[in-house]
Amino acid sequence: MSSTTTTRPNGLALFILPSALMFALFFFLPIGLMALMSVLTGNPVVMPKVAFTTRHYARMVGDPYYLEVIWTTIRIGLVTTLVALAIGYPLAHWMARIKSRAGHALLLMAVLAPMLTGIVVRTFAWMTLLSDKGVVNQTLMSLGLISQPLKLMYTETGIVVGLVHIYVPFMVLTLTGVIGRIDERLEQAAENLGASPLRAFLEVTLPLSLPGILAGSLLVFALAISAYVTPILLGGFQIMTLPILIYQQISANFNVGFAAALGIVLLVISLMLVIAYNRALGLVSGQRELQ
Amino acid sequence: MQTAASNSASLPVAQQAASVRTPGPIRHYGRYLYLAINIAILVFLLAPIAIVVVFALNPTPFIQFPPVGVSLRWFEKFFASRDFMHALGFSLEVAVLTTLSATLLGASAALALARGNLPGTRLIVATMLSPLMLPAILTGLALFQTYVLLDVGRPTWGLVAGHTLVTLPYVVRTTLAVLHNFDMRLEEAAQNLGASPVRTFFEVTLPLIKPGVLAGAIFAFIVSFDQFPVSLFLVSPGNETLPVTLFNYLKFDLDGTIGAASVVSIVLAFVVVIGLDRTVGLRSYVKL
Repeated sequence: MSSTTTTRPNGLALFILPSALMFALFFFLPIGLMALMSVLTGNPVVMPKVAFTTRHYARMVGDPYYLEVIWTTIRIGLVTTLVALAIGYPLAHWMARIKSRAGHALLLMAVLAPMLTGIVVRTFAWMTLLSDKGVVNQTLMSLGLISQPLKLMYTETGIVVGLVHIYVPFMVLTLTGVIGRIDERLEQAAENLGASPLRAFLEVTLPLSLPGILAGSLLVFALAISAYVTPILLGGFQIMTLPILIYQQISANFNVGFAAALGIVLLVISLMLVIAYNRALGLVSGQRELQ
Repeated sequence: MQTAASNSASLPVAQQAASVRTPGPIRHYGRYLYLAINIAILVFLLAPIAIVVVFALNPTPFIQFPPVGVSLRWFEKFFASRDFMHALGFSLEVAVLTTLSATLLGASAALALARGNLPGTRLIVATMLSPLMLPAILTGLALFQTYVLLDVGRPTWGLVAGHTLVTLPYVVRTTLAVLHNFDMRLEEAAQNLGASPVRTFFEVTLPLIKPGVLAGAIFAFIVSFDQFPVSLFLVSPGNETLPVTLFNYLKFDLDGTIGAASVVSIVLAFVVVIGLDRTVGLRSYVKL
């Protein structure tokens, strides 16, 4: 990445071509076609007369149901992000500051283990935990704390719990990298100058880790709003989010044009998040260069 | 919590220094609180995985807690099921093909990006990593529409192409990480000693970047094996990957078979990772 000098590309540059072709054919072309389908009245291959239209987008804006779906998706994403940050930060801090190599390796394994477990498997785990006869309700009832099972599944809360579990490792790994780069001596200096540990954390570590907080949050938000499995299984087909709606348009209605328009909306939101994420991480590396 | 957090640095030396400065119980309570919170978070992260194992071994035909016994009936049912076995085989096939293509493409791209003096490297890297952040469900949808428009059906290569796209970023990232820490003087030394560029590549460059490439390959395998959103759009009925089969099963049944299938896929992922860690030492090469 540092090769932005004035030297000309050499022979090794040719090695980029297979990937470039791959991206052109299987990434840019399909996304371009999706954008095209979102403004066409039908499938140009099957139907001889297709015209440009904005009706798919008009349908989305005109019907409060679709706006509600978009808002539900964003709301679930926001809550998931906040919870993931709240539980990800302490763990990331511990991982970044722990001195024992074995301790660090164990923590890393604990964070990676859920990531190595597929999304469907982890969602199944949460179904067994949160359902009416699930582990949480059975335990609480046998302890006599509740008489009726709590409604944990088929609610937004259930979806958020599942999503947090799936995406918190991404938050932890992003934050660990950033906190690890903060010079511990800064904290110690603050404490030597009389700051309490709390104040040293709030005024030194926390502000310096803000770019990491931003980057991790954007990453988790982007992942959470595009989740499909967890919302559909833990929401029991009762809570509609954008990805669920997109798949439904394809599988049940075969409305490719409307699915494409919904896809473009999700794409635009995600692209903005990607750009913001890269800028946040740019702040981190900028900071490192200053040191 | 924050009191505790700032206290984490208290390791032997720091702790001694700290206790000289501000002795007293607050620091200790903070430390305990910090540990307690973190242990609770670890339990949250790991308990669901343990629960899956419990239900895979619990013999009752529905989800019941506490478990009543230990049996292998769900594993028998899983391994006896033609659907699950076909899905497992197909998933492995797709994961192997994906790993091969993503590793070849990703490693050569990383080499070009680190050494090719390409203009706009930052933009290219950002583009190549973007499938990690863009919703995979969109990659699936866009490819599905393309295959429909081009009338190619739902071939296995189409699925592998989709998987390659979402796994390639991992290979690019791990390989670039190694290339950046790479002492280029080693290559210069080899050439000064008379090695041809090709020989230098095979005898110096390749062995040195191998750990990064392998780490990327392992990520590619696991991500492909667990991939769901892209597969959802691209699999054909009767030729589904394991996650899709599990998902369809879960919509109607919630018995121990899923637990058994989950344990099998978890074990598989761990075997692959630990195997690689043993052979090349994954940790030191994956920048986290």
